[in-house]
Amino acid sequence: MGEVELSCRAYIKMFLHSCLFPRCSINGLLLSSSPAGGAVCVTDCVPMLHSHLPLAPITQLALTQVDVWCSQTQQRIVGYYQANACVSDSSPTQCALKIADKIAEQFDNAVLLMLDGGKMSPDYRVPPIVMYERKDSRWMLKDKHTIMLRQWEETRAIASQMLESGDHMLLVDFDSHLDDITKDWTNQKLNTKIAELASPANGNI
Amino acid sequence: MASISEMYDVGWEEMRDKLRKWREDNCRNSEQIVDVGEELISEHASKLGDDIWIIYEQVMIAALDCSRDDLALTCLQELRKQFPDSHRVKRLSGMRLEALERYDEANKHYDAILQDDPTNTAARKRKISILKAQGKSTEAIRELNEYLEQRLYCCSSQRKSRGERIISHYGKAAFCLEELMMTNPHNHLYCEQYAEVKYTQGGLENLELSRKYFAQALRLNNRNMRALFGLYMSASHIAASPKVSAKVKKDNVKYAAWAATQINRAYKLAGRGTKENKCSMKAVEEMLESMQITMS
Repeated sequence: MGEVELSCRAYIKMFLHSCLFPRCSINGLLLSSSPAGGAVCVTDCVPMLHSHLPLAPITQLALTQVDVWCSQTQQRIVGYYQANACVSDSSPTQCALKIADKIAEQFDNAVLLMLDGGKMSPDYRVPPIVMYERKDSRWMLKDKHTIMLRQWEETRAIASQMLESGDHMLLVDFDSHLDDITKDWTNQKLNTKIAELASPANGNI
Repeated sequence: MASISEMYDVGWEEMRDKLRKWREDNCRNSEQIVDVGEELISEHASKLGDDIWIIYEQVMIAALDCSRDDLALTCLQELRKQFPDSHRVKRLSGMRLEALERYDEANKHYDAILQDDPTNTAARKRKISILKAQGKSTEAIRELNEYLEQRLYCCSSQRKSRGERIISHYGKAAFCLEELMMTNPHNHLYCEQYAEVKYTQGGLENLELSRKYFAQALRLNNRNMRALFGLYMSASHIAASPKVSAKVKKDNVKYAAWAATQINRAYKLAGRGTKENKCSMKAVEEMLESMQITMS
């Protein structure tokens, strides 16, 4: 299928989400503020859960709230990401496939992104992600050459820097929001911090 | 870099007491335990008396969690010197091997403990953890079942069993939660999780059960937002079902309306303003018509 571009902001928030809960499976939604058609630009993400991923109620709640927020902010849900607690296994779970299916019903070029925990250490120079796209009702591995991360080196550097400074503690996922509803699951503060650290060439947002 | 005692202006007694509190509450804040514990051990060991051994154990486990093998080894060596034949220390050696992913060696340690003492629950649990870490979920669940059936009744393994089972079979997860609720009737979290499992299983009967248990969770803790949203969603689903009587429909519309008011109030109090509240409520209403995810 088509090309997919992953923005600095989206990658960093996914990365920080998995670093915040290293012993849990985590998931979230991928968003785009770009017009439909052409390449899919994942410009942002919303971290969702870090516990009991296969249970329905909170997932439904999160999906609906994010959907409404998207329609107010000219964004759309274009994909789903997950990182498994078991670092040696980065294959999509039943729950991942089901949620991704639902997203694909609303958006043809939806992507399913799995974070590969085993490749997240500083030794690895390549993005620790595995992407799937929908072909003939099945999720197939996407050709690596159709996945773009602009300014990858800079993004990687910012991610490490933010982790070192403990910025991952600022990240709020939907689970944390339900524990304390004063917390902002759109993570505006974190977005600002990322924007400050990224060079103009790295921000298409 | 400043020490913990300098940064937070605390004395060694406070650090020791903090570690004790974290032990008692079973917190897994490993980074903090390592920071506080490492300083306590290196600078105030002589003042800790017999407490030092349990602190070595606590810091060692936290160090493994943070990939601080240097610190873990130091603690382990002190414990080995003091308690050379202890099963408890042998289990810690096993845990270190697990952290280094030397699972076969770790299993040998645990098997040795179990040969000496077949009732050693800690060693059995570690063996199950290894299966889980290796991604062998089916075997892990099987081992957990055997363990539970042998009536070595223990709350934490019920919890773990439930966690595993959620992945494989919602019915079994529900069963585990039922057991947990029986032994912990005041725990709102078990009620709420049971309700979530029932909701996920779907079907009118399960939805009604889920609504009841969300309500029960709220009685035990009226600030549980998950339970509040859960009550709203389950009651709304039931009210929308063509299979229910007019009375049931009316009752559930009432429950849903009550929940909606509570949710609005909670968000207002949180200072989020009416605009966002409207979004949340609209969101949940829309949800009933559009994205319906059934996991079974």
